[in-house]
Parts: sequence; C-alpha cells; structure tokens
Amino acid sequence: MATFKLDGKTVPFEPGDTIIRAADRQGLTIPHYCWHPGLSSPANCRMCLVEILPKPGQRPLSLDILELDAKTGEYKPVQKPKLQPACYMAAADGMEVLGDTSEHVVKARHDVQEFLLLNHPVDCPICDQSGECTLQDYWLEYQKTQKRMHDEPVHKPKGVEFGATIVYDGERCVMCTRCVRFMAEVAKDPVLDMRERGNLNEIFVSPGRQLDGHYTFMTEHVCPVGALTTKDFRFKARVWFLRTAPSVCQGCATGCNAHLDYDPRYNKAYRYRPRDNEKVNKYWMCDEGMLTYREAHDGRVLEASVDAAARTTAQALDEVKSLFTGVPSDSVGVVLSARYSLEDNWALRELALVLMGTKNVYWSGRPDGYEDDILIHRDKNSNTRGVKDLAPTAKPFQALVDDVAARRITHVIALGGSAPGDASTLRAAKLVTIAAHRGPMTDLATVVLPATSWAEHSGTYVNAKGMRQIADKALEPLGASKPAWKQVADVATALGFEPSWVKLKHIRGQLIGTAAADAHATPGPVVGNASAE
Amino acid sequence: MEPLDIELDEGELELPAEPMHLNMGPSHPAMHGTVRMVLELSGETIAKVDVQVGYLHRGFEKMCERGTWAQVFPYVDRLNYVSPMLNNVGYALAVEKLCGLSVPDRCQWYRMALGELARISDHLTCDGAMAMELGAFTPFLWFIKAREMVWDILEEETGARLTHSFGRIGGMAEPPTPDFKKLCLAALPEILHIVEEGERMLLNNRIFLDRLENVGPISKADAVALGWTGPCLRATGVSYDIRKAHPYLKYDEVDFEVPVGTRGDTLDRFLVRLGEIRQSKRIIEQSLERMADSGPVNCDDPRVVLPPKSEVYTTIEATIQHFKLIMEGAKVPAGEVYSYTEAGNGELGYYLVSDGSGTPYRVRIRPPCFQIVGGVSKLIEGRMLADIVPTFGSLNMIGGECDH
Amino acid sequence: MSQLVLDKLKERFGAAILETHSNFGDDTAVVDAAQWKAIAKFLREDPALDFDLPVDLCGVDYPNRLPRMEVVMHLYSIARHHRVRIKARVGDEDMDGAELDSVVSIWPGFNWLEREVFDMSGVRFRGHPDLRRILMYPEFEGHPLQRTYPADRTQPLVPYRTEDEAGMPLNKLEPFGHDEGMPFGRVGPHPHAEDN
Repeated sequence: MATFKLDGKTVPFEPGDTIIRAADRQGLTIPHYCWHPGLSSPANCRMCLVEILPKPGQRPLSLDILELDAKTGEYKPVQKPKLQPACYMAAADGMEVLGDTSEHVVKARHDVQEFLLLNHPVDCPICDQSGECTLQDYWLEYQKTQKRMHDEPVHKPKGVEFGATIVYDGERCVMCTRCVRFMAEVAKDPVLDMRERGNLNEIFVSPGRQLDGHYTFMTEHVCPVGALTTKDFRFKARVWFLRTAPSVCQGCATGCNAHLDYDPRYNKAYRYRPRDNEKVNKYWMCDEGMLTYREAHDGRVLEASVDAAARTTAQALDEVKSLFTGVPSDSVGVVLSARYSLEDNWALRELALVLMGTKNVYWSGRPDGYEDDILIHRDKNSNTRGVKDLAPTAKPFQALVDDVAARRITHVIALGGSAPGDASTLRAAKLVTIAAHRGPMTDLATVVLPATSWAEHSGTYVNAKGMRQIADKALEPLGASKPAWKQVADVATALGFEPSWVKLKHIRGQLIGTAAADAHATPGPVVGNASAE
Repeated sequence: MEPLDIELDEGELELPAEPMHLNMGPSHPAMHGTVRMVLELSGETIAKVDVQVGYLHRGFEKMCERGTWAQVFPYVDRLNYVSPMLNNVGYALAVEKLCGLSVPDRCQWYRMALGELARISDHLTCDGAMAMELGAFTPFLWFIKAREMVWDILEEETGARLTHSFGRIGGMAEPPTPDFKKLCLAALPEILHIVEEGERMLLNNRIFLDRLENVGPISKADAVALGWTGPCLRATGVSYDIRKAHPYLKYDEVDFEVPVGTRGDTLDRFLVRLGEIRQSKRIIEQSLERMADSGPVNCDDPRVVLPPKSEVYTTIEATIQHFKLIMEGAKVPAGEVYSYTEAGNGELGYYLVSDGSGTPYRVRIRPPCFQIVGGVSKLIEGRMLADIVPTFGSLNMIGGECDH
Repeated sequence: MSQLVLDKLKERFGAAILETHSNFGDDTAVVDAAQWKAIAKFLREDPALDFDLPVDLCGVDYPNRLPRMEVVMHLYSIARHHRVRIKARVGDEDMDGAELDSVVSIWPGFNWLEREVFDMSGVRFRGHPDLRRILMYPEFEGHPLQRTYPADRTQPLVPYRTEDEAGMPLNKLEPFGHDEGMPFGRVGPHPHAEDN
C-alpha cells in the first residue's frame, strides 16, 4: 500500500488520490473551503496549503519574500518554501507533508483566513449558517487575531433571489465556486457562474434563467458559509437548538441517507441535511426529498376516528372488534404499504397470515412520478422492495379494488393513507386504516388509527437496490399516534389474538434473514449513522 | 441520667430512664445555613448526635455539566457565600491549570488583594456570629460594620456586595478601579481598629472565655484523619496553609505568618481567625504596593477571553470570537486536574474533568467545611447541649459550601 | 509532584496498578477495584508515603465505557507535601456490581465522603458503618450525578398542586422543561429509545 506522511502520521492512499482526499479517508482534517469530496478541485481558496518537503537531493521550491524584522523595523529578503494546495497535489509514495507542524503553514492558514474575513459583513447574529459555519470554526482554530484593515469593506448585493428556493448574499460569499461546480458537474445544469474580478467577484445566475431544477437545495448544502440560504429554512431556527437524528428520506425508492434536524423543545422537525453514503446517494439529495421533512407534521392523522368522528384509540379499537366479530377470514383483506417500515409491514403480515389466517394480502403506496438519472427514482415509495420481500405474493392495489367490487372482500385492514389509483370502490367494504398521513384510504375508512411517521419511531426501509437502511427516531410521537406495529398489535388484541411482538427488538429479531439479498444489498440492517458528514 | 431519690407526696413519680431525642432542626438561629442535628440527650449531656446536612443542596455539580466553563462562575460564588471571591479565584485557577494559561502579574496581585478581602469578611462574619450566639451582640454589630467596609470596596470593584461572579478564565471581569488602592488602604486600619475593640471587649470577659476555652477540643491526629484543613486544623497546632505549603498566585512573594493554635478547642479556632485577619491585612497592603496601576488584567488568549464590546459590534473577527466563546464555550483541553487554594475554611479543591469541548464534563467541588462538619460528632459527644452553639459556630460551616 | 509515589505503588502492587499519568502535574494511578483497600492502607502506612490527610472522594460517570463509574480519591501528606489521585472503575451499564471497600477504618474523614459518593453516584461501600444518603432526602429515587439521570427531573416530596386543587388556571411550566433553552449537551446520549 503506497503511503505518505502527514505531520509524521503515515497515511495510505489509493492511486489518483490527492493529499486531502487520502487524509480525509483517515479522519485527518486539512482545513479547506472550496474542496469537496464529490466535486472537482479548483484550489482557489488556498486554505489547504501544506508544505511538502523536497525529496532528498532535490532543490526545494522556494519563494523570495520580504520579511519585517521586528527589532530593526526594516524588511529583509528571505526565502520561504512554496506551499502547495493539498486538494490538488496528487499523493506520491514516500512524500512528506507538513501541516500544523510547519510554521509556514500555520502562518499561511492565518493569512488566508484573514483575507477571507477582510470584507466579510458582521452578519453572525442574523446569518443562518451561524453555529455550523466554516469561517467561524477556522477563525478560532487558525486566525485568532483581528484583521489589519481599517477601510470600509466592499459592499455587494445581498438578498439576491436566485430562484424559487435559494437566496444569495454576495458579501458573505468566499467565492469558493462549490455551488457553480455542483450545478455544472452533478446537477448537469451549469446555470451559475462567477462574474466581475478581484474583490468585486460575485456569483450570478445565467441571464434569462433562474436557479431551478431538482437539486437547488444542494447549492445551499455545499456552501461553507451563509452566502446561499434556502427560503425554506432561513430565519426559522438556530442550529444550536437543533438535535439531529440519522434518517432515511421517504420521498422515493432511492432512500437517500439524511440527517433530520429537529428541535426537541417544540418537538418539531426543521430540515433535512444529506448524509454521506458512497453506495446510495454519495453526498446529495434532491429538492423534493429535502422537503419531505415536512411530512412529519403536514397532513397527519393524529387521533383515532370512527366514521370520520374523532374518538379515543380505545373506542376505535372497540369499534374494530365489533366490526370484525363473526367475519370469516376469507373475506378479510390486508393491505401492506410500501411507505411504511419493514417492522410495520411485518406486524401486519403476521396479523394476516399467522393470526387471522387470511391469504388476501395486497400492497399499496403512492403512484409513480418523475425520475431522472441522478438520484430521483420513479417509485415514490421508500420500502417497495421491503414489502415485496416480506410478501412476494401480495397482489397489487387494483386487485383489491376488484375484489371489493365483486364482494369477495368485505373487510379490509390497511396500512397507510395513500393509494396508487382510484380507491372509491372501497367504500363498499369496512375499512380499518392505520395511517400517519391523510389520504384516500383514511377518507374512505370506517375506523382510522393514528400511526407515527417515520421520524417518530425507528424503522428499517429497503431501497430500490435492496439495501436495508434504518431511520432513527427523532421526534416524540405526536398527538395520539403510536408506531404502526404497536397499533397492529392492539388491533390483534382487540380481535382476540395474542400478538407475538411487544417491543421493536422482537420484530427486528424476526426480520434478519427474511428479505432476499442481492449483490448490492448490505446483509442485515444497516445502522443509520454509517458515515460521517 | 441518674435517678434522684426524692420523697414526693404525690406518690411514685416515674422519671424517664431513656435518653431524650431533641431535634435542632434545619431552621434554627444557631444552625448556620441549615443543618439539622438530631441529638440524643441524657439530661444536658449529649450522648449521640446525628448531623444531617444537605438542606441547601442545589445540585451545582450537575448544573455545571449543562453550561459552559464560564457559566460556572456564578455557581461557585454561591458556594462559600461569605467569601465568594476566594471561590471565584480558585475555580479560575483550576481552569487555567487545565488550559495551561497564566495570567498577567497585575491580575495576580489583584486576585490576591480581593481574595484576602473576602477572607477578612469571612472571618469577621464567623467570629461575630459566634459572639452573638453567646449573647455578645455588640461585637457582632461592630464586626458587621467592619464587614460593611469590606463589602463597600468589593461593591466598588465588582458591582455586587456578595455574589460578584467577577473571576474569568484568563483574568478578571474588569480591571481595578482607579480608587481601589486608596479605598483599601483607608479601610484596612479602620477594620483592624474595630477588630481590636471587639477583642478587648470579648477576650477579657470571664463568661466568654469560659464558654470557649477547652470546649470542643480535638487532637492533631484526629483532625488530620478527619480531613480537616484551614483555621480549624491550624487551631490544633498543625501549621498547614496552602499559601505557604504550595504557594499559588504570588503568595511566595509576600511576607505573612500563619497563626497556629495549641489545644484545638473553640477558643483557639476563634483566635486563629482573628490572627488571620491581621495577616490578611498585611498581604493586602503588600499586594497593593506591588500591583501595577496600568497594564492588562486579562491574558490575551482569544480562545478564552471575550473581546471588547465595541469591537464585537463592528468587526467580524470579534463577533466570531464572541459567538464561539458564548455559544460553544471556551474549549478547554481534555484531561483532568485537581486544583486547590486556601479558602476561608481550608482547602477548597476543584477536580475538573474536561472532554475537550466547551461544556465541563464534571466539576467536583471539594468543600472544606464538609469534612469539618463530618467531625462535629466527635467534638460534641459527651459535652453539654449549650456547648453546641459556640463549637458549631467556631467551625464556620457555610451551608452553600457544605451542601454544594 | 514527585514520581516517588507512583513508583512505590507500581513496585508494591504491580499489575493492580492499571494506568498511571502525571498530566498537569497531578500524579494519578488507576487501580484495580479489588485492591482498593489494600492500596489505601499501603498509602497510609508506608513511612515514605505517609498520606495522612484524606482530601476528597468523588464519582465520575462515563456511561459510554465499562466499567462505568470511576471513583476518584485524592490524598495528601502533610509531612511529605505530596499528593496522589487514586481511581478505580466499577459498575456496568446498569450500575450492577458498583461496590468498593470502605476505607473509613483507615481515615475516618471518608465517612461522609463515601456517603456522598453513594448518594450522588450510586456506588456502595462495603463495611461502611452507616451507608445512607447524606445530601438528598431518604425518599429520593436514583442517583443524581449519574449522567443517565435527567437534569430536569423533579421529585417533589409534596406534589405540585393541580388546577383542580388550586381552583384557578395555572400557567405553570414545569421547572425547566426538556432541553429548555440549553444548546449545550447537544452531543449527548442519543434520543432514540429502541422500542418506540
């Protein structure tokens, strides 16, 4: 394995790695603004400058500079080594790189940071990036002094609307061009560019265009400072009050890994941030996915109801009991949901196949939608593969509609409110829906039991590639909702059965090994917090 | 209690043969800062005592884990609340030991002067209260008058009479006021004069001496084995004073003596404190002489010291510094340290554990009077009920410190 | 501080001294909990060490590692002017097996300190003459300085009155609610409970 040394530590690297990439793999940080592991390296911020010692026998690359002699007050010519950007220098075997241990690098970092803050506005109190801002962190680690300029800072446009989602602030921008490169390289839509020169530089949108598309939120995500902010999140919450939970986006079958940021004081989810996962979403998420955090609160079913009148859960369960008394199991249909976790679906499947002994298992979810070749999948359900694996013979939703119309099925227990097609014929049947969100299935239901959304209980979701991913619990259950697998257990008890699961770990113990694994899947549940940001 | 043979007309009188339980409850004028003593009495003699502390436990140590390092200063003020500056300085020194910082000389003299003023205030309160509880109300009021002079100086310097929160990591909150030296040098002789007057009134009084002399004695070995430190230990004859044994700040550059007693009884504890007031006055005078009139009071490390407010409003760097220090706290390097200073009651120790972040992982306060009150049963058992008052008063148990 | 103390300990107890360091000038030794009393006795009685002043005893909770509770003892020798910090780790994640021998027979000053460690951290001391709570009231449940004890939990001996009892609306927030206004401790125990 080829290695180089960074500050005396041996760092292995793969062929083609830059110094900063190899160091990042090992968890050693070299400060940077413009570099991003998922984008190209422009080396324009100069923060990652490191000193590379010359090979033995080689003349060092050095610069002639003038240094102020503090004692005499005069400038003397000295030589200092030319520092190289670690984000652009390819690592070579046996290279010796000095970072913190070199006084030149320490001074360079100080000076670069000073330049970056030279014209920076005093916006910390109102800037959304406060608390997660690279400028703040690096000032404390590397600069620690005041700037030496006493002139008025350069003023640039602030609060420029780039599109429907993003607002740009020119004064806060450090011109790292991460947003420009992201749109060009990853979103394949080079709509942003830099204009003007020198200290009048700013980012702008191509004339006649807006910053639109499906990946605009990512420009805010890559921005290391508060120059780009999303209209969705700006001024809503201060990040130091937010806790974070590793989660999985529920928008489509790609199953991008995300961090769900929520405020535990108000039990409210505030935003998603992408979580790095080389195998699933690399470093990115799409706009629609980023906004799905709202589904933790919007359109929720928070209390039980019978015939559209609000009831307590206990009363609703009594109603379920009376509805199902004396009903033969052949005429009961059970609908699994591709939007609910493996645990929820397993519980309902247990109720159907094992406890009630009915073979009429269907599945439903949201209808298909837009897809592209970057991240967005056509299937807008996060757990289709999981449901297919749990119940390979489950019939599609249309079959349920037909069966109900033909009176073969008179009673239905369904998970989830959404339906992929027209569900109005289900009015003929007695429908019990356990759902977190309103939808056709809750509108038509006789009894509705509130379930927790993905954010309020820990659940496993299998994405289109067959990988199992866990979304951790973030919020406390809202209203009267309980995890769907608990509601199913209560329904089973109301119907006179004894469910074999009481805690989540009972279900998880059953799940290992049931879903088929293919070449891309990771065996067993993947713990949500797999890789660092 | 021995049954007395009494011929009584009314017939047999049943005299109680079991000991009596008396509760000197937490709300009691003589129980400084809420201590409960459940006494088992045999007549006037105390057979057993169960000292129950904890009525003023406020959960400081747990609260420290929920704030930043700098937010601990108001908590430590409220420990020994009659000499809060000593607690502040002790904690600041502990964090600075962990950070590897040293403060400028001017700050060190300033801390010494303020600390000794706090010590004077502490001893005045203790001795005054002791006298008051024995019935001598006038010297108490005189000592309180002297304490007011100390508190006036502290109010001028810090803005508060009692809970200053004046210490900071890396220095003090504000530099000394221009009048500081003048105020101190004017007040100290007056304070000493009042102390001498009080002594003249008390130490020639037969009753006072009888109530204190040979009451509640403890031997050197016992005191050391119990973990006593400070004036209570020095009254037994062990001359252990951290300012001399392990000097911190500039205590090795000033001349002072350590008053030591002989018998370890209540009178010695009373006298040792009066002696310490005189020594504190010497230390203050020497510190003020050595303290520079200008120059920085805080060390200039931006990782712990806040920037001036005018800069915070106008430059981005100062805003960032302010933001980082307030919102995330000064990032103290990971590790553990035990730092100890001589507080009013003895060795005040801080055992700090840091995980490298701005929030303390564990702040353990070693309260000097916790150990001292732990030895109360040894002092009181076998003595009479009335002896509790001067004995307990001489130990200077401060509820805030003992119960933290 | 001198290395003498640590050297003598290592020489006498060998493998029972698990780690030592002298960071920040404080000599520290982490010792095997089973040898706690023997080591304490040695520190007291050895003439070159002569630790006669019991300074402090406290517990520090490290719930992310096992054994979880670290009991820290500080000692001082008045004659020799040296200090030492002795630590022992006890207890598993539910604090089972968190027991140490009491050293009250060696230094009576540890009587109250051991009671305080029991009260605050939940470590029991075998052979203590009177192990009961000292700072908290006897009806208190739990050990407050364990990191798993929530800081915002109140256990009032007299329960807070309800609106019915008061006869009027009470706009009362519980004395500081969960995470109220506190950005610190964000990196804390993960909020998700497994069976929800």
